[in-house]
This record gives sequence, C-alpha cells and structure tokens, in this order.
Amino acid sequence: MSIKDKYAIVGVGYTPQGRIEGRTELSFHLEAIINAIDDAGLTKEDIDGLICYRHFPPASDSYDVTPYMVAQHLGITPAYISQDAN
Amino acid sequence: MTMYAKPIPKINEDSRPFWGGCKVHELRFQKCNQCGHVRWPPAIICPECHGKDTVWITAAGHGRVYTYVVYHIAYHPGFKGELPYVVAVVELHEGPRIFTNIIGCSTEEVYCDMAVEVVWDDVTTELTLPKFRPVK
Amino acid sequence: MLESGFCKYVVISYGHNAVSSDSMTTMLMTLGQDEEAFGHFGATGSYALAAQRAMYEFNTGPETWKHIAVGQRKWANLNPLAMTYNRTMSYDDYMNARWLVEPFRLFDNCLVSDGGRAYIVTSAERARDLKHRPVIIAGLGQHNPADFPQSATFLAGPTGAQIAGEAALRMAGITRDDIDACQIYDCFTYTVEITLQDYGFFKPGEGTDWFQGGTIEPGGSMPVNTSGGQLSEAYFMGLTPITEGVMQLMGRCGERQLGPQTGTKAPENILCSDNGGILQCNTTIILRRA
Repeated sequence: MSIKDKYAIVGVGYTPQGRIEGRTELSFHLEAIINAIDDAGLTKEDIDGLICYRHFPPASDSYDVTPYMVAQHLGITPAYISQDAN
Repeated sequence: MTMYAKPIPKINEDSRPFWGGCKVHELRFQKCNQCGHVRWPPAIICPECHGKDTVWITAAGHGRVYTYVVYHIAYHPGFKGELPYVVAVVELHEGPRIFTNIIGCSTEEVYCDMAVEVVWDDVTTELTLPKFRPVK
Repeated sequence: MLESGFCKYVVISYGHNAVSSDSMTTMLMTLGQDEEAFGHFGATGSYALAAQRAMYEFNTGPETWKHIAVGQRKWANLNPLAMTYNRTMSYDDYMNARWLVEPFRLFDNCLVSDGGRAYIVTSAERARDLKHRPVIIAGLGQHNPADFPQSATFLAGPTGAQIAGEAALRMAGITRDDIDACQIYDCFTYTVEITLQDYGFFKPGEGTDWFQGGTIEPGGSMPVNTSGGQLSEAYFMGLTPITEGVMQLMGRCGERQLGPQTGTKAPENILCSDNGGILQCNTTIILRRA
C-alpha cells in the first residue's frame, strides 16, 4: 500500500545547540517538542502520537529518557507512543 | 600480579565453548548438522536454516584479513600503551569472520586479503585472546 | 499509526547532552560486544572498517572524502545555527587533521552536540490549514541488511540504501533526475559517499570524479547536507537531515536557502536518508514541495 502524498511535515522544533552546559537530555526533548508544536501552529492537545528517536545511553546523573517520561512532562496522553529502534 | 586493565568478553552459555576453546588454544565454532553452515557469533539456532542440531568444530586457525583499521586514539585507557594498534576482521578458511588484532608486523604492513594465522595471547590465567599474524 | 487513523498529529523528537555529559563515554564502552577485548570501540572503528574495505574494493579514500567534509563545511558557514559556522575548512585542513581510527581523520567524523530537534507529521489534508506551506512525504523506503558488522558483506555496498532508495523513488513516481538536493545521514564522510553511490548517483569508485568541482557545495549541481549536516552543523541523528529537507522546502533557510541566492536549483524534491547501526539499516524519504 502506497502512502504517496498522503502525509506531510508541518512543523520543526529547534533548541540551542552546540556546547550547552547545564542541560539534561530530557530538557532538549521537551524544548524541541514544544517549539515544533508552536511552529506548526498546534496546541499540546492536538498531539496524539509521540515517537522518541533512538538514542544513546543516559548520562550517569540521569535516567534513561523514555517516551512515557517525555509524554508525562508534556502533559499529553497520546494514543500511540514508541521508541524508535536502532 | 598487576590487574588486567582492558575490557574482557562477557562469557555466557552461548559463548562459553568458544572462550573455553581459546584457553586450550583451540578456535572452536558451531557447525550446523542440518545444512553444514559454520556460524559466528554462537547461538541456539543456525541463521541459514534455523536448525538446532549443532556440533562444535575446531578451526585450523588460518584465514585472511577481510578489513582492518589502525587505532591512533585510545578510547579506553587500557589501550593507551598499545597505540597505534590494528583491529581487523579476519575471515577464517572455515567461513566465520571474527574481530581480532593483527600483531607481529608493523601497522603499515597490513592489507586487505593478507594471509594470516592465529597466535594465542594468554592475557590472564582465565582468558586467552585469539590474535593473528602474517603467514611467513 | 496515521494510516490506521489511530493518530492525527505525531511528533518525533530527539535530544542529547552529548558534549556536556558523560553519556558518550558510556556509549563507547557499551556499544560493542566482545570486540572491546581487542580494543575496538564505538562507531568510528566500525565505519572505518567499512571504509577500508571500500578503499580496497573500489579505490576510494581521503581524496574523495575531503570533498564531502569541505563541501558540507561551506554550507555550515552559511548557517548561523551550525556549530562550525565561524570555522572554515580547506582541503589542507582536512588532510592535516590527526588520525583517529585510520583511514578516518578527525574531520571524517561527525560532531558531538548538545541540543534537540523535533518535527510533526499529519495528513496532507490537515496540513493545508496550518501555518506553513506543508512539506509532502512523496516516497518512503526502508531496507535493513541486519548482519553482524564482522560478518557483513555490505560494508563496501550495496548497503540498505540501494533497495530503500529504489522503493522511495518508485513510490514517489519520480526518478533520480528529479531530485534537486539530498540530505544524507552523515555520521562519517564515507557514509555520504556509499549512500549516494548506492542510490546510483555515481558508479563504485567514480565518487572522486563526481564530487570534484563542488558538486555538493553552494553553487553545485547536487547540493548535499545544506545545513552543514552532522559533520558540520550538529548531530541529532536522523533528525539533522530530515528537518533540513523540510526547512529548505518550506523556504525558511536564510542565507543557505537553495535557489538563486546560493546558485542552486530551487528545490521541488529533496531526498533524505537515515542510517542506523553500522550501515545495517537505511530509511529513505522523498520530500516534495506542496
């Protein structure tokens, strides 16, 4: 089944990037997501799917960032949630 | 006796026969009794035919360098004193390809398809690593 | 999940404090398996093994890769967000850089970055009513030749990019000639070469000729990694290439915008790639201007 032309990308979220001291991995996920929502002109209530891209092991002062953790901090209850595999 | 400062392999139910073989200087691999495929890394099934009937064979220890690299940076402190050193993938005559080091020659002398033979490095009383050197 | 009607708006996110935390050290010590006993760590070593085999099979090497490193740096010098915005790179800079894992020098490696990136996907229909001109997903392909790195026969190609690329173009109903620019997953310079080669932009070993004369640079005939990419902008895995493809097609790229101002073709179709493991998976997405 082809999905040709059926879907579109409508917003991109950036964060400060480079060497940004004093920030957790989680904080970058959250900031990128709220910026993407804003960029698309949506609200958090619109978001019903969340995919956290594959990632490296956490820093020793942090816990592994799971999509559940990200959803909880965003205050959203997605119908679909997943962690992309490598 | 000084502590061994490099990472050691994780030895479990699947890999114990291989590392046990290394200890007595034998290069052991699983061979599928159903289709004859010699596999590495070890596992309960053959990736070719999913057969479970397996026998461990001993390889002769001859092969060729499939590809290699020269480390100029020590990502682990245990290797600082070894720089530069060669990590290679060696393809054994019996089929499997394994990660190893090429020793017994300079880093510049290594090339793809170079004929090599196993040389045993007893790094601790418990652990022996199969390394390779050029065939003279 | 969009196709099943399960979701209306899906957000995809990445975040990492790779520079300012100890996460990368943990990664180096946990990515591999028994090969660590032989001093083989992380992705650089394994991609270098692939690159060495490619040098043997089709005679590529630093003379090809320098065009990728320098070409992408020229794009980064037009991108104020890029970590290397203020640092130019010459061919000599590339060649004089120190070896990490030979045949890779320092600038064959991607950056390590703090930061994050996210994007939102919805139906083309819903997209019409939103803020920006949407970017259509015209084609999609994936292929995963998931053999062990030491057993892999695809290190010097064909990687998953060949089948994934063909599938994505077929779905989009276009050919390679319709592609105006590429955003290629560029964890290493060699990854860019082998991926473009497997897409069929040039034959094995003809990369050196193809890259020469600034093909992928501003003013070139096939711009590649126009943000600077993972090599020169920032490393956010697959989100670095795809978000740049989106921003270019939305026309929001400022000084580096594809079109007359950078001496390039105004883009209609941009091919984006994602690559995982040691060339063990490839996803190809064709983005089209709405």
